[in-house]
Amino acid sequence: MSVPILKQGDVLIASIQAALSDRELAQLHDAFADQVGRFRSRGVIIDVTALDVLDSFATRTLRSIAYTAKLRGANAVVVGIQPDVAFAMVQLGLSLEGVATALDLEEGLAYIRDVAKRGGHRVR
Amino acid sequence: MADEIQQAASKALMREMGLDEANIERRKKIVGFEASDLPRIAAIRDLVTQHTDDYVTTFFNHLSGLDDARSLIASRAIAERARQLKREHLVAMVQGEYGMKYVEQRIELGTLYAKAGLDARVFLGAFHQLLKHIGSAVMKQVDRKPVDGFESFMSLKKIAFFDIGLIVDVLVFERERVIRQQQESIRELSTPVLQIRERLLLLPIIGVIDTQRARLITESLLRSIRANRAKVVVMDITGVATIDSKVSNHLLQTVTAARLMGAHVIVTGLSAEVAQSLVALGIELSKLNTVGDLQGGLEEAERILGYRVPTTATDAGPALEGS
Repeated sequence: MSVPILKQGDVLIASIQAALSDRELAQLHDAFADQVGRFRSRGVIIDVTALDVLDSFATRTLRSIAYTAKLRGANAVVVGIQPDVAFAMVQLGLSLEGVATALDLEEGLAYIRDVAKRGGHRVR
Repeated sequence: MADEIQQAASKALMREMGLDEANIERRKKIVGFEASDLPRIAAIRDLVTQHTDDYVTTFFNHLSGLDDARSLIASRAIAERARQLKREHLVAMVQGEYGMKYVEQRIELGTLYAKAGLDARVFLGAFHQLLKHIGSAVMKQVDRKPVDGFESFMSLKKIAFFDIGLIVDVLVFERERVIRQQQESIRELSTPVLQIRERLLLLPIIGVIDTQRARLITESLLRSIRANRAKVVVMDITGVATIDSKVSNHLLQTVTAARLMGAHVIVTGLSAEVAQSLVALGIELSKLNTVGDLQGGLEEAERILGYRVPTTATDAGPALEGS
């Protein structure tokens, strides 16, 4: 099952609904890298609300997507990390360093708008 | 009615303590109780049942002479109930049936002692007095065959030690229960997460942080971030006296986890000593957003949230505004 990427204005949104295999994650990565350039997007949002596990490969891919998006001129936000997932990630030493995070999709959109208004990239 | 409630409570306690058939059999084995003991106990059955009241009186007379047992004797209701249960106990002791029902009665008596705050050593002293009286009565009656009398008494004593094991376990278990409850309530009290404004949480941390507590703090914070849709969290560690590498690591984990949920964490209240020891330990805290005191932390939080913090004095410099 590949993850659909929705285009909403100048923001790309991917909502991951089920645990992805490494291969599917790589596909998502490639699709983002391609579409950010094609649609001249300013923001990328990856919604992981439905996931109850984020392993090291998934974390690395998310970070890689964010970095790639930034090189292509877009800000990336990971939204909707669940409390249990956040706790488990910290225990495993996975901190998504350099990647912006937000509580949910709404917050993520607000963040991207905020950064665009300031006219620069900001990494928390 | 009260009896039924008491019985249900005893049954529940037995379950909590893991007292089932297998456990009871094991306990009998521990005291060396065998089938051959049954006829020996039966031989002195009448002797014990006929003088039950004497023995019970001995037990309670001994207790009333002790300051340590005042709590049990002082309450008339408890003392009466204890007397009645003790009488039943002595009768049951020589009946030869030592199953779940017997254990249940012992547990009820043990719970009563625990409620009255009777110490194990006091109970043991009084129980020994009681056994001594039974023993001398047995020896008087069987003076022609002292060996048989002694054997019978020793068989009864196995049951007595079986009972002691149960009673002492109840006393210890009840005491530990109090400790468990207190620990639980301390834990609950110690991790409050307070909402100060819309989307702004305050997490005051007081006292010692160990691994388990750090976990609880992190969990309740993450849950609150979700529930209150918090954007900024002010973590105040004024009440944390000392910080070592372990504690700072816990704090960092909490901050990182909150960040993953999209919340911004501001740490406040690092005292001069704490700051110095952190620097001396060489702990990397550059990832933390620290502000001197709670007031400054709240101001910073409100700035992030886009609130304007007004100052009353006109010459206090420019008002803080969202940048």
